[in-house]
Amino acid sequence: MPASHSFRSLLPVLILLVLLALVPLLSPSNRFVSLAISAGINVIALYGLSVLFGQTGILSMGHAALVGIGAYTAAILARDFNIGFWLSIPLAGIMAAIVAALIGIPSLRVSGHHFVIMTFAFGQLLAIILTNGGDYTGAASGLDVQQPVALFGLSIDVLTHYYLTVVFFVALSAIASWAIINSRYGRTLRAIRENEKLAASLGINVGRHKIGAFIVSGVFAGVSGVLLAYFLRHISPSQFSSFPSIYLALMVMIGGARLLLGPLAGGILVAFLPELLNLDPVQSRILYGVCLIAVILLLPNGLIAGIIAGWHKMFDRRAAQPSEPAVEREGK
Amino acid sequence: MAALLDIKGLRKQFGGVTALAGVDLTVNEGEILGVVGPNGSGKTTLFNSVTGVHRPTAGTVSWRGRDITGIPANAVSRAGIAYTFQQAMAFPGLSVFENVQIATEHCSNTLTNRPWTTPASLLEFVGLSGLSGEKAGILPFGRLRLLGLALALATRPSLILLDEPAAGLNDRETTTLVHLVEQFPEHGISVCVIDHDMKLMQMLCRRLAVLDFGSKIADGPTADVLNDPKVLEVYLGGAL
Ligand SMILES: Nc1ncnc2c1ncn2[C@@H]1O[C@H](COP(=O)(O)OP(=O)(O)O)[C@@H](O)[C@H]1O
Ligand SMILES: [Mg+2]
Repeated sequence: MPASHSFRSLLPVLILLVLLALVPLLSPSNRFVSLAISAGINVIALYGLSVLFGQTGILSMGHAALVGIGAYTAAILARDFNIGFWLSIPLAGIMAAIVAALIGIPSLRVSGHHFVIMTFAFGQLLAIILTNGGDYTGAASGLDVQQPVALFGLSIDVLTHYYLTVVFFVALSAIASWAIINSRYGRTLRAIRENEKLAASLGINVGRHKIGAFIVSGVFAGVSGVLLAYFLRHISPSQFSSFPSIYLALMVMIGGARLLLGPLAGGILVAFLPELLNLDPVQSRILYGVCLIAVILLLPNGLIAGIIAGWHKMFDRRAAQPSEPAVEREGK
Repeated sequence: MAALLDIKGLRKQFGGVTALAGVDLTVNEGEILGVVGPNGSGKTTLFNSVTGVHRPTAGTVSWRGRDITGIPANAVSRAGIAYTFQQAMAFPGLSVFENVQIATEHCSNTLTNRPWTTPASLLEFVGLSGLSGEKAGILPFGRLRLLGLALALATRPSLILLDEPAAGLNDRETTTLVHLVEQFPEHGISVCVIDHDMKLMQMLCRRLAVLDFGSKIADGPTADVLNDPKVLEVYLGGAL
Protein backbone atom coordinates (compact mmCIF):
# COMPACT_ATOMS: atom_id res chain seq x y z
CA MET A 1 0.00 0.00 0.00
CA PRO A 2 1.59 3.29 -1.06
CA ALA A 3 2.40 5.77 1.71
CA SER A 4 0.31 8.52 0.16
CA HIS A 5 -2.79 6.35 0.39
CA SER A 6 -2.25 5.36 4.02
CA PHE A 7 -1.57 8.98 4.96
CA ARG A 8 -5.20 9.65 4.07
CA SER A 9 -6.27 7.85 7.25
CA LEU A 10 -4.06 10.07 9.42
CA LEU A 11 -5.02 13.37 7.86
CA PRO A 12 -8.59 13.70 9.22
CA VAL A 13 -7.33 12.89 12.71
CA LEU A 14 -4.64 15.58 12.52
CA ILE A 15 -7.08 18.14 11.14
CA LEU A 16 -9.52 17.37 13.93
CA LEU A 17 -6.77 17.72 16.51
CA VAL A 18 -5.70 21.08 15.10
CA LEU A 19 -9.32 22.24 15.36
CA LEU A 20 -9.50 20.90 18.92
CA ALA A 21 -6.30 22.81 19.74
CA LEU A 22 -8.11 26.01 18.71
CA VAL A 23 -11.01 25.40 21.09
CA PRO A 24 -9.49 27.52 23.93
CA LEU A 25 -9.89 30.56 21.64
CA LEU A 26 -13.65 30.22 22.13
CA SER A 27 -13.08 30.70 25.88
CA PRO A 28 -14.88 27.53 26.97
CA SER A 29 -15.83 26.95 30.62
CA ASN A 30 -13.33 25.33 33.00
CA ARG A 31 -15.70 22.42 33.35
CA PHE A 32 -15.62 21.87 29.58
CA VAL A 33 -11.81 22.06 29.39
CA SER A 34 -11.46 19.64 32.32
CA LEU A 35 -13.76 17.14 30.62
CA ALA A 36 -11.81 17.55 27.40
CA ILE A 37 -8.53 16.90 29.22
CA SER A 38 -9.94 13.72 30.81
CA ALA A 39 -11.18 12.61 27.42
CA GLY A 40 -7.79 13.27 25.82
CA ILE A 41 -5.94 11.36 28.53
CA ASN A 42 -8.22 8.37 27.88
CA VAL A 43 -7.75 8.70 24.12
CA ILE A 44 -3.98 8.24 24.55
CA ALA A 45 -4.55 4.92 26.30
CA LEU A 46 -7.20 4.05 23.70
CA TYR A 47 -4.67 4.41 20.87
CA GLY A 48 -2.62 1.74 22.63
CA LEU A 49 -5.71 -0.44 23.06
CA SER A 50 -6.50 -0.02 19.37
CA VAL A 51 -3.13 -1.58 18.49
CA LEU A 52 -3.84 -4.43 20.90
CA PHE A 53 -7.52 -5.01 20.18
CA GLY A 54 -8.03 -3.51 16.73
CA GLN A 55 -4.89 -4.84 15.08
CA THR A 56 -3.99 -7.94 17.09
CA GLY A 57 -7.49 -8.94 18.21
CA ILE A 58 -6.63 -9.26 21.90
CA LEU A 59 -8.86 -7.66 24.51
CA SER A 60 -7.45 -6.32 27.75
CA MET A 61 -9.88 -5.93 30.63
CA GLY A 62 -7.26 -4.50 32.97
CA HIS A 63 -5.88 -1.65 30.97
CA ALA A 64 -6.63 1.01 33.55
CA ALA A 65 -4.18 -0.83 35.81
CA LEU A 66 -1.39 -0.08 33.32
CA VAL A 67 -2.51 3.55 33.32
CA GLY A 68 -2.25 3.30 37.11
CA ILE A 69 1.31 1.99 36.86
CA GLY A 70 2.14 5.09 34.82
CA ALA A 71 0.40 7.43 37.27
CA TYR A 72 1.98 5.91 40.40
CA THR A 73 5.39 5.81 38.72
CA ALA A 74 5.10 9.55 38.03
CA ALA A 75 3.93 10.31 41.58
CA ILE A 76 6.66 8.23 43.22
CA LEU A 77 9.40 9.59 40.93
CA ALA A 78 8.31 13.12 41.81
CA ARG A 79 8.18 12.43 45.55
CA ASP A 80 11.31 10.31 46.00
CA PHE A 81 13.60 11.43 43.19
CA ASN A 82 12.38 14.91 42.43
CA ILE A 83 11.87 13.82 38.84
CA GLY A 84 9.35 16.02 37.05
CA PHE A 85 6.69 15.68 34.38
CA TRP A 86 8.79 15.47 31.20
CA LEU A 87 11.23 12.84 32.38
CA SER A 88 8.38 10.89 33.97
CA ILE A 89 6.73 10.42 30.57
CA PRO A 90 9.37 8.07 29.12
CA LEU A 91 10.15 6.45 32.50
CA ALA A 92 6.49 5.69 33.22
CA GLY A 93 6.07 4.40 29.66
CA ILE A 94 8.96 2.00 30.23
CA MET A 95 7.64 0.97 33.63
CA ALA A 96 4.17 0.18 32.26
CA ALA A 97 5.81 -1.74 29.40
CA ILE A 98 7.79 -3.85 31.87
CA VAL A 99 4.66 -4.63 33.88
CA ALA A 100 2.79 -5.47 30.67
CA ALA A 101 5.60 -7.90 29.80
CA LEU A 102 5.35 -9.51 33.24
CA ILE A 103 1.60 -10.08 32.81
CA GLY A 104 1.79 -10.89 29.12
CA ILE A 105 4.56 -13.48 29.10
CA PRO A 106 2.78 -16.08 31.24
CA SER A 107 -0.75 -15.40 30.01
CA LEU A 108 -0.42 -14.68 26.28
CA ARG A 109 1.46 -17.89 25.56
CA VAL A 110 -1.73 -19.78 26.26
CA SER A 111 -4.92 -18.38 24.73
CA GLY A 112 -7.04 -15.30 24.20
CA HIS A 113 -9.75 -16.09 26.75
CA HIS A 114 -7.14 -16.83 29.33
CA PHE A 115 -5.60 -13.44 28.70
CA VAL A 116 -8.84 -11.49 29.23
CA ILE A 117 -9.22 -13.11 32.64
CA MET A 118 -5.56 -12.54 33.52
CA THR A 119 -5.74 -8.83 32.72
CA PHE A 120 -8.93 -8.50 34.76
CA ALA A 121 -7.30 -10.28 37.70
CA PHE A 122 -4.22 -8.08 37.37
CA GLY A 123 -6.42 -4.97 37.65
CA GLN A 124 -7.91 -6.26 40.89
CA LEU A 125 -4.53 -7.33 42.20
CA LEU A 126 -2.95 -3.95 41.54
CA ALA A 127 -5.72 -2.17 43.43
CA ILE A 128 -5.11 -4.49 46.39
CA ILE A 129 -1.35 -3.96 46.28
CA LEU A 130 -1.72 -0.17 46.07
CA THR A 131 -4.26 -0.14 48.91
CA ASN A 132 -1.96 -2.20 51.12
CA GLY A 133 1.26 -0.48 50.11
CA GLY A 134 1.43 1.63 53.27
CA ASP A 135 3.11 5.02 53.05
CA TYR A 136 4.92 4.05 49.88
CA THR A 137 1.73 3.99 47.81
CA GLY A 138 -0.32 6.13 50.18
CA ALA A 139 -2.67 3.18 50.84
CA ALA A 140 -6.37 3.72 50.09
CA SER A 141 -6.11 7.51 50.11
CA GLY A 142 -3.39 7.53 47.43
CA LEU A 143 -0.67 10.01 46.58
CA ASP A 144 -0.42 13.72 45.84
CA VAL A 145 1.64 15.07 42.99
CA GLN A 146 3.03 18.49 43.76
CA GLN A 147 5.72 19.10 41.14
CA PRO A 148 4.88 22.06 38.92
CA VAL A 149 4.81 21.47 35.16
CA ALA A 150 6.56 23.88 32.85
CA LEU A 151 7.79 24.04 29.29
CA PHE A 152 10.67 26.42 28.48
CA GLY A 153 9.94 28.28 31.72
CA LEU A 154 6.27 28.68 30.84
CA SER A 155 3.89 27.13 33.36
CA ILE A 156 1.63 24.50 31.86
CA ASP A 157 -0.42 24.20 35.03
CA VAL A 158 -2.86 26.71 33.63
CA LEU A 159 -5.85 24.64 32.54
CA THR A 160 -5.81 25.64 28.84
CA HIS A 161 -2.04 25.09 28.64
CA TYR A 162 -2.43 21.64 30.08
CA TYR A 163 -5.23 21.05 27.60
CA LEU A 164 -2.88 21.89 24.72
CA THR A 165 -0.22 19.59 26.18
CA VAL A 166 -2.75 16.75 26.23
CA VAL A 167 -3.81 17.49 22.64
CA PHE A 168 -0.14 17.32 21.68
CA PHE A 169 0.23 13.90 23.28
CA VAL A 170 -3.00 12.70 21.67
CA ALA A 171 -1.53 13.72 18.31
CA LEU A 172 1.71 11.86 19.11
CA SER A 173 -0.29 8.76 20.07
CA ALA A 174 -2.37 8.93 16.91
CA ILE A 175 0.76 9.25 14.78
CA ALA A 176 2.50 6.40 16.64
CA SER A 177 -0.56 4.19 16.25
CA TRP A 178 -0.82 5.10 12.56
CA ALA A 179 2.87 4.33 12.03
CA ILE A 180 2.44 0.93 13.68
CA ILE A 181 -0.69 0.09 11.67
CA ASN A 182 1.04 0.90 8.38
CA SER A 183 4.29 -0.88 9.14
CA ARG A 184 5.41 -4.43 8.56
CA TYR A 185 4.87 -4.91 12.28
CA GLY A 186 1.23 -3.81 11.97
CA ARG A 187 0.68 -6.27 9.14
CA THR A 188 2.13 -9.04 11.30
CA LEU A 189 -0.31 -8.17 14.09
CA ARG A 190 -3.25 -8.19 11.66
CA ALA A 191 -2.16 -11.58 10.35
CA ILE A 192 -2.33 -12.91 13.91
CA ARG A 193 -5.75 -11.32 14.39
CA GLU A 194 -7.06 -12.87 11.17
CA ASN A 195 -5.70 -16.41 11.54
CA GLU A 196 -3.17 -17.49 14.17
CA LYS A 197 -2.67 -20.97 12.79
CA LEU A 198 -1.89 -19.69 9.30
CA ALA A 199 0.32 -16.91 10.69
CA ALA A 200 2.41 -19.47 12.59
CA SER A 201 2.73 -21.66 9.49
CA LEU A 202 4.23 -18.69 7.65
CA GLY A 203 7.01 -18.33 10.20
CA ILE A 204 5.42 -15.76 12.52
CA ASN A 205 6.12 -16.25 16.22
CA VAL A 206 2.54 -15.66 17.33
CA GLY A 207 3.13 -15.75 21.09
CA ARG A 208 6.03 -13.31 20.97
CA HIS A 209 4.16 -10.79 18.82
CA LYS A 210 1.07 -10.90 21.02
CA ILE A 211 3.23 -10.13 24.05
CA GLY A 212 4.90 -7.39 22.01
CA ALA A 213 1.56 -5.80 21.13
CA PHE A 214 0.56 -5.83 24.80
CA ILE A 215 3.86 -4.19 25.76
CA VAL A 216 3.37 -1.52 23.08
CA SER A 217 -0.14 -0.82 24.38
CA GLY A 218 1.39 -0.59 27.86
CA VAL A 219 3.65 2.30 26.77
CA PHE A 220 0.60 4.31 25.66
CA ALA A 221 -1.13 3.49 28.96
CA GLY A 222 1.90 4.56 30.99
CA VAL A 223 2.11 7.94 29.24
CA SER A 224 -1.62 8.40 29.73
CA GLY A 225 -1.10 7.72 33.46
CA VAL A 226 1.51 10.47 33.84
CA LEU A 227 -0.81 13.00 32.22
CA LEU A 228 -3.60 11.87 34.52
CA ALA A 229 -1.47 12.14 37.67
CA TYR A 230 -0.32 15.66 36.81
CA PHE A 231 -3.84 16.71 35.85
CA LEU A 232 -5.66 15.43 38.92
CA ARG A 233 -2.73 16.09 41.25
CA HIS A 234 -4.03 13.28 43.40
CA ILE A 235 -4.30 9.59 42.53
CA SER A 236 -5.81 6.67 44.41
CA PRO A 237 -6.21 2.92 43.79
CA SER A 238 -9.91 2.98 42.91
CA GLN A 239 -9.21 5.06 39.79
CA PHE A 240 -7.41 2.11 38.24
CA SER A 241 -9.60 -0.81 39.24
CA SER A 242 -11.89 -2.91 37.08
CA PHE A 243 -14.58 -0.31 36.35
CA PRO A 244 -12.24 2.17 34.65
CA SER A 245 -10.75 -0.75 32.73
CA ILE A 246 -14.15 -1.81 31.46
CA TYR A 247 -14.81 1.81 30.46
CA LEU A 248 -11.63 1.89 28.38
CA ALA A 249 -12.57 -1.35 26.61
CA LEU A 250 -16.04 0.10 26.06
CA MET A 251 -14.73 3.36 24.61
CA VAL A 252 -12.51 1.57 22.12
CA MET A 253 -15.38 -0.67 21.05
CA ILE A 254 -17.84 2.19 20.72
CA GLY A 255 -15.47 4.30 18.66
CA GLY A 256 -14.11 1.35 16.73
CA ALA A 257 -10.67 -0.12 17.26
CA ARG A 258 -9.49 -0.55 13.69
CA LEU A 259 -9.87 2.97 12.35
CA LEU A 260 -7.63 5.80 13.41
CA LEU A 261 -10.60 8.03 14.20
CA GLY A 262 -12.13 5.35 16.44
CA PRO A 263 -10.25 5.98 19.71
CA LEU A 264 -10.74 9.74 19.36
CA ALA A 265 -14.48 9.35 18.75
CA GLY A 266 -14.89 6.78 21.53
CA GLY A 267 -12.99 8.84 24.11
CA ILE A 268 -14.81 12.06 23.33
CA LEU A 269 -18.27 10.51 23.16
CA VAL A 270 -18.01 8.64 26.42
CA ALA A 271 -16.66 11.72 28.21
CA PHE A 272 -19.19 14.22 26.87
CA LEU A 273 -22.37 12.24 26.29
CA PRO A 274 -23.52 12.15 29.96
CA GLU A 275 -22.73 15.87 30.22
CA LEU A 276 -24.70 16.71 27.10
CA LEU A 277 -27.65 14.60 28.21
CA ASN A 278 -27.36 15.79 31.81
CA LEU A 279 -27.17 12.29 33.28
CA ASP A 280 -26.18 11.28 36.79
CA PRO A 281 -23.49 8.56 37.21
CA VAL A 282 -25.98 5.70 37.53
CA GLN A 283 -27.92 6.81 34.47
CA SER A 284 -24.74 7.20 32.47
CA ARG A 285 -23.60 3.69 33.39
CA ILE A 286 -26.91 2.38 32.11
CA LEU A 287 -26.52 4.46 28.96
CA TYR A 288 -23.03 3.02 28.36
CA GLY A 289 -24.32 -0.49 28.79
CA VAL A 290 -27.08 0.13 26.26
CA CYS A 291 -24.63 1.84 23.87
CA LEU A 292 -22.23 -1.06 24.08
CA ILE A 293 -24.89 -3.64 23.32
CA ALA A 294 -26.18 -1.50 20.45
CA VAL A 295 -22.72 -1.07 18.97
CA ILE A 296 -21.83 -4.76 19.28
CA LEU A 297 -25.10 -5.80 17.64
CA LEU A 298 -25.45 -3.07 15.01
CA LEU A 299 -21.96 -1.75 14.32
CA PRO A 300 -19.46 -4.48 15.18
CA ASN A 301 -16.57 -2.40 13.81
CA GLY A 302 -17.52 0.61 15.90
CA LEU A 303 -19.30 3.88 15.32
CA ILE A 304 -16.87 5.43 12.84
CA ALA A 305 -16.70 2.34 10.61
CA GLY A 306 -20.51 2.20 10.80
CA ILE A 307 -20.85 5.82 9.73
CA ILE A 308 -18.41 5.35 6.84
CA ALA A 309 -20.21 2.21 5.68
CA GLY A 310 -23.55 4.03 5.91
CA TRP A 311 -22.17 6.98 3.99
CA HIS A 312 -20.91 4.72 1.21
CA LYS A 313 -24.23 2.91 1.05
CA MET A 314 -26.10 6.20 0.61
CA PHE A 315 -23.55 7.61 -1.78
CA ASP A 316 -23.43 4.42 -3.84
CA ARG A 317 -27.21 4.19 -4.02
CA ARG A 318 -27.36 7.68 -5.45
CA ALA A 319 -24.63 6.84 -7.93
CA ALA A 320 -26.40 3.51 -8.60
CA GLN A 321 -23.19 1.53 -8.18
CA PRO A 322 -22.37 -1.58 -6.20
CA SER A 323 -20.92 -0.98 -2.76
CA GLU A 324 -17.39 -2.04 -3.68
CA PRO A 325 -15.47 0.98 -2.31
CA ALA A 326 -17.11 0.53 1.07
CA VAL A 327 -15.62 -2.95 1.32
CA GLU A 328 -12.22 -1.53 0.40
CA ARG A 329 -12.12 1.06 3.11
CA GLU A 330 -13.89 -0.61 5.97
CA GLY A 331 -11.78 -2.09 8.72
CA LYS A 332 -8.64 -0.28 7.63
CA MET B 1 18.51 -39.39 -3.75
CA ALA B 2 19.03 -38.11 -0.23
CA ALA B 3 16.23 -38.15 2.34
CA LEU B 4 15.07 -34.63 2.98
CA LEU B 5 12.41 -35.44 5.54
CA ASP B 6 12.73 -38.63 7.55
CA ILE B 7 9.81 -39.64 9.75
CA LYS B 8 10.34 -42.58 12.10
CA GLY B 9 7.77 -44.36 14.28
CA LEU B 10 5.51 -41.32 14.42
CA ARG B 11 2.58 -41.76 16.84
CA LYS B 12 -0.22 -39.40 17.69
CA GLN B 13 -2.94 -40.09 20.25
CA PHE B 14 -5.97 -37.90 20.83
CA GLY B 15 -7.17 -39.20 24.18
CA GLY B 16 -8.14 -42.76 23.43
CA VAL B 17 -7.99 -42.32 19.65
CA THR B 18 -4.79 -43.43 17.96
CA ALA B 19 -4.64 -41.25 14.86
CA LEU B 20 -1.10 -42.34 13.95
CA ALA B 21 0.14 -45.72 15.10
CA GLY B 22 3.87 -45.41 14.38
CA VAL B 23 4.47 -44.30 10.82
CA ASP B 24 7.79 -44.38 8.95
CA LEU B 25 8.01 -42.20 5.86
CA THR B 26 10.75 -40.44 3.93
CA VAL B 27 10.48 -37.67 1.41
CA ASN B 28 13.43 -37.49 -0.96
CA GLU B 29 14.97 -34.41 -2.44
CA GLY B 30 13.30 -33.43 -5.70
CA GLU B 31 10.37 -35.85 -5.62
CA ILE B 32 6.61 -35.47 -5.54
CA LEU B 33 5.35 -38.03 -3.05
CA GLY B 34 1.65 -38.83 -2.74
CA VAL B 35 -0.07 -39.88 0.49
CA VAL B 36 -3.48 -41.53 0.17
CA GLY B 37 -5.86 -43.38 2.44
CA PRO B 38 -9.50 -43.45 3.46
CA ASN B 39 -11.03 -40.62 5.48
CA GLY B 40 -9.82 -40.65 9.05
CA SER B 41 -6.74 -42.75 8.26
CA GLY B 42 -4.44 -40.11 9.74
CA LYS B 43 -3.13 -38.24 6.70
CA THR B 44 -3.86 -34.76 8.02
CA THR B 45 -2.60 -35.76 11.46
CA LEU B 46 0.66 -36.86 9.84
CA PHE B 47 1.15 -33.40 8.34
CA ASN B 48 0.02 -31.66 11.53
CA SER B 49 2.49 -33.68 13.59
CA VAL B 50 5.37 -32.78 11.29
CA THR B 51 4.55 -29.07 11.01
CA GLY B 52 4.11 -28.21 14.67
CA VAL B 53 0.33 -27.92 14.64
CA HIS B 54 0.29 -30.95 16.97
CA ARG B 55 3.09 -32.33 19.06
CA PRO B 56 3.58 -36.04 18.23
CA THR B 57 3.08 -38.50 21.07
CA ALA B 58 6.16 -40.52 20.05
CA GLY B 59 8.56 -40.94 17.17
CA THR B 60 11.02 -38.63 15.48
CA VAL B 61 11.05 -36.23 12.56
CA SER B 62 14.39 -35.39 10.95
CA TRP B 63 14.93 -32.62 8.48
CA ARG B 64 18.15 -32.82 6.47
CA GLY B 65 19.51 -35.00 9.25
CA ARG B 66 18.52 -32.59 12.03
CA ASP B 67 15.98 -33.64 14.66
CA ILE B 68 12.99 -31.28 14.45
CA THR B 69 10.49 -33.40 16.40
CA GLY B 70 7.91 -31.24 18.14
CA ILE B 71 9.35 -27.84 17.22
CA PRO B 72 6.74 -25.04 16.90
CA ALA B 73 5.00 -24.25 13.60
CA ASN B 74 6.89 -21.01 12.97
CA ALA B 75 10.23 -22.78 13.40
CA VAL B 76 9.15 -25.52 10.97
CA SER B 77 8.36 -22.82 8.41
CA ARG B 78 11.72 -21.20 8.97
CA ALA B 79 13.47 -24.54 8.54
CA GLY B 80 12.05 -24.63 5.00
CA ILE B 81 8.88 -26.72 5.24
CA ALA B 82 5.67 -25.06 3.99
CA TYR B 83 2.15 -26.36 4.61
CA THR B 84 -1.17 -25.69 2.92
CA PHE B 85 -4.08 -26.69 5.12
CA GLN B 86 -6.92 -29.02 4.16
CA GLN B 87 -9.37 -26.21 4.97
CA ALA B 88 -8.18 -23.55 2.51
CA MET B 89 -6.90 -20.66 4.61
CA ALA B 90 -5.99 -17.03 4.15
CA PHE B 91 -6.24 -13.83 6.17
CA PRO B 92 -9.84 -13.05 5.15
CA GLY B 93 -10.03 -9.40 6.25
CA LEU B 94 -6.85 -8.39 4.43
CA SER B 95 -6.30 -7.78 0.74
CA VAL B 96 -4.90 -10.55 -1.44
CA PHE B 97 -1.74 -8.48 -1.88
CA GLU B 98 -1.34 -7.90 1.85
CA ASN B 99 -1.79 -11.64 2.45
CA VAL B 100 1.17 -12.48 0.25
CA GLN B 101 3.15 -9.46 1.45
CA ILE B 102 2.95 -10.71 5.04
CA ALA B 103 4.14 -14.14 3.96
CA THR B 104 7.13 -12.75 2.05
CA GLU B 105 8.06 -10.40 4.88
CA HIS B 106 8.45 -13.28 7.29
CA CYS B 107 10.48 -15.45 5.00
CA SER B 108 13.90 -15.90 6.57
CA ASN B 109 15.29 -18.22 3.91
CA THR B 110 17.90 -16.61 1.74
CA LEU B 111 17.60 -19.26 -0.97
CA THR B 112 17.87 -17.34 -4.18
CA ASN B 113 17.01 -20.08 -6.65
CA ARG B 114 13.33 -19.17 -6.50
CA PRO B 115 11.64 -17.39 -9.36
CA TRP B 116 9.03 -15.95 -7.01
CA THR B 117 10.29 -13.70 -4.26
CA THR B 118 8.07 -10.64 -4.44
CA PRO B 119 4.33 -10.57 -3.71
CA ALA B 120 3.67 -9.47 -7.29
CA SER B 121 5.64 -12.34 -8.82
CA LEU B 122 3.92 -14.86 -6.54
CA LEU B 123 0.47 -13.57 -7.47
CA GLU B 124 1.46 -13.65 -11.10
CA PHE B 125 2.63 -17.27 -10.79
CA VAL B 126 -0.65 -18.51 -9.30
CA GLY B 127 -2.69 -16.28 -11.61
CA LEU B 128 -4.17 -13.94 -9.00
CA SER B 129 -2.57 -10.66 -10.12
CA GLY B 130 -5.93 -9.24 -11.17
CA LEU B 131 -7.36 -9.75 -7.69
CA SER B 132 -4.55 -8.28 -5.60
CA GLY B 133 -6.72 -5.43 -4.28
CA GLU B 134 -9.65 -7.65 -3.27
CA LYS B 135 -10.22 -8.87 0.25
CA ALA B 136 -9.17 -12.49 0.56
CA GLY B 137 -12.45 -13.23 2.36
CA ILE B 138 -14.50 -12.68 -0.80
CA LEU B 139 -12.46 -15.00 -3.04
CA PRO B 140 -14.24 -18.04 -4.46
CA PHE B 141 -12.95 -21.32 -3.08
CA GLY B 142 -10.70 -22.23 -6.02
CA ARG B 143 -8.96 -18.88 -5.88
CA LEU B 144 -8.56 -19.20 -2.13
CA ARG B 145 -6.68 -22.48 -2.66
CA LEU B 146 -4.37 -20.73 -5.14
CA LEU B 147 -3.78 -17.93 -2.64
CA GLY B 148 -2.90 -20.56 -0.03
CA LEU B 149 -0.35 -21.95 -2.46
CA ALA B 150 1.14 -18.48 -3.01
CA LEU B 151 1.43 -17.98 0.76
CA ALA B 152 3.24 -21.30 1.14
CA LEU B 153 5.61 -20.51 -1.73
CA ALA B 154 6.33 -17.09 -0.26
CA THR B 155 8.19 -18.74 2.60
CA ARG B 156 10.69 -20.08 0.02
CA PRO B 157 10.37 -23.68 1.18
CA SER B 158 12.50 -26.66 0.22
CA LEU B 159 9.54 -28.95 0.91
CA ILE B 160 5.87 -28.19 0.59
CA LEU B 161 3.13 -30.29 2.19
CA LEU B 162 -0.20 -30.03 0.36
CA ASP B 163 -3.29 -31.36 2.15
CA GLU B 164 -6.01 -32.08 -0.41
CA PRO B 165 -5.09 -29.12 -2.64
CA ALA B 166 -7.62 -30.13 -5.30
CA ALA B 167 -10.60 -30.68 -3.00
CA GLY B 168 -13.44 -28.40 -4.09
CA LEU B 169 -11.74 -27.40 -7.35
CA ASN B 170 -13.38 -27.86 -10.74
CA ASP B 171 -11.58 -29.65 -13.59
CA ARG B 172 -10.07 -26.51 -15.03
CA GLU B 173 -8.79 -25.34 -11.66
CA THR B 174 -7.37 -28.81 -10.99
CA THR B 175 -5.48 -28.69 -14.28
CA THR B 176 -4.05 -25.31 -13.33
CA LEU B 177 -3.00 -26.70 -9.96
CA VAL B 178 -1.28 -29.74 -11.50
CA HIS B 179 0.56 -27.46 -13.89
CA LEU B 180 1.82 -25.34 -10.99
CA VAL B 181 2.81 -28.19 -8.68
CA GLU B 182 4.62 -30.06 -11.46
CA GLN B 183 7.03 -27.13 -11.70
CA PHE B 184 8.05 -27.19 -8.04
CA PRO B 185 10.84 -29.82 -8.19
CA GLU B 186 12.71 -28.00 -10.94
CA HIS B 187 12.82 -24.98 -8.63
CA GLY B 188 14.24 -26.98 -5.76
CA ILE B 189 10.95 -27.60 -3.97
CA SER B 190 10.09 -31.19 -3.08
CA VAL B 191 6.42 -32.02 -2.58
CA CYS B 192 4.37 -34.30 -0.38
CA VAL B 193 0.72 -34.23 -1.38
CA ILE B 194 -2.44 -35.76 0.09
CA ASP B 195 -5.44 -36.17 -2.18
CA HIS B 196 -8.35 -38.47 -2.92
CA ASP B 197 -8.32 -37.77 -6.65
CA MET B 198 -6.41 -40.77 -8.00
CA LYS B 199 -6.19 -39.35 -11.52
CA LEU B 200 -4.48 -36.29 -10.07
CA MET B 201 -2.17 -38.43 -7.94
CA GLN B 202 -1.19 -40.59 -10.93
CA MET B 203 -0.38 -37.47 -12.90
CA LEU B 204 1.73 -35.91 -10.15
CA CYS B 205 3.36 -38.67 -8.15
CA ARG B 206 5.84 -41.35 -9.08
CA ARG B 207 5.72 -42.70 -5.54
CA LEU B 208 2.70 -43.27 -3.34
CA ALA B 209 2.32 -44.11 0.35
CA VAL B 210 -0.97 -45.48 1.70
CA LEU B 211 -2.25 -45.00 5.24
CA ASP B 212 -4.99 -47.04 6.86
CA PHE B 213 -6.06 -46.68 10.50
CA GLY B 214 -2.95 -44.68 11.28
CA SER B 215 -0.50 -47.19 9.81
CA LYS B 216 1.35 -47.22 6.54
CA ILE B 217 0.25 -50.26 4.53
CA ALA B 218 2.07 -49.59 1.27
CA ASP B 219 4.85 -47.39 -0.10
CA GLY B 220 6.40 -47.58 -3.55
CA PRO B 221 6.09 -46.71 -7.24
CA THR B 222 2.57 -45.45 -7.96
CA ALA B 223 1.58 -48.24 -10.37
CA ASP B 224 2.76 -50.98 -8.00
CA VAL B 225 0.96 -49.47 -5.02
CA LEU B 226 -2.28 -49.13 -6.91
CA ASN B 227 -2.15 -52.84 -7.79
CA ASP B 228 -1.22 -53.94 -4.28
CA PRO B 229 -3.94 -56.32 -2.99
CA LYS B 230 -3.77 -54.75 0.49
CA VAL B 231 -4.46 -51.34 -0.99
CA LEU B 232 -7.24 -52.62 -3.21
CA GLU B 233 -8.84 -54.20 -0.18
CA VAL B 234 -8.78 -50.90 1.76
CA TYR B 235 -10.51 -49.17 -1.09
CA LEU B 236 -12.92 -52.15 -1.64
CA GLY B 237 -11.95 -51.97 -5.28
CA GLY B 238 -14.30 -49.06 -5.77
CA ALA B 239 -12.48 -45.80 -5.29
CA LEU B 240 -9.59 -46.77 -7.54
N1 LIG C 1 -7.56 -32.40 16.82
C1 LIG C 1 -8.07 -33.64 16.94
N2 LIG C 1 -8.64 -34.02 18.09
C2 LIG C 1 -9.13 -35.27 18.23
N3 LIG C 1 -9.12 -36.20 17.27
C3 LIG C 1 -8.58 -35.88 16.09
C4 LIG C 1 -8.02 -34.57 15.86
N4 LIG C 1 -7.53 -34.54 14.60
C5 LIG C 1 -7.77 -35.74 14.06
N5 LIG C 1 -8.40 -36.55 14.95
C6 LIG C 1 -8.79 -37.95 14.72
O1 LIG C 1 -7.69 -38.61 14.18
C7 LIG C 1 -8.08 -39.51 13.16
C8 LIG C 1 -7.36 -39.16 11.86
O2 LIG C 1 -7.86 -37.94 11.34
P1 LIG C 1 -7.19 -37.18 10.12
O3 LIG C 1 -5.73 -37.14 10.31
O4 LIG C 1 -7.88 -35.90 9.97
O5 LIG C 1 -7.55 -38.15 8.92
P2 LIG C 1 -7.49 -37.90 7.35
O6 LIG C 1 -6.82 -36.59 7.09
O7 LIG C 1 -6.73 -39.07 6.83
O8 LIG C 1 -8.90 -37.92 6.88
C9 LIG C 1 -9.59 -39.41 13.05
O9 LIG C 1 -10.15 -40.44 13.82
C10 LIG C 1 -9.88 -38.09 13.67
O10 LIG C 1 -11.14 -38.06 14.26
MG1 LIG D 1 -7.51 -34.89 6.18
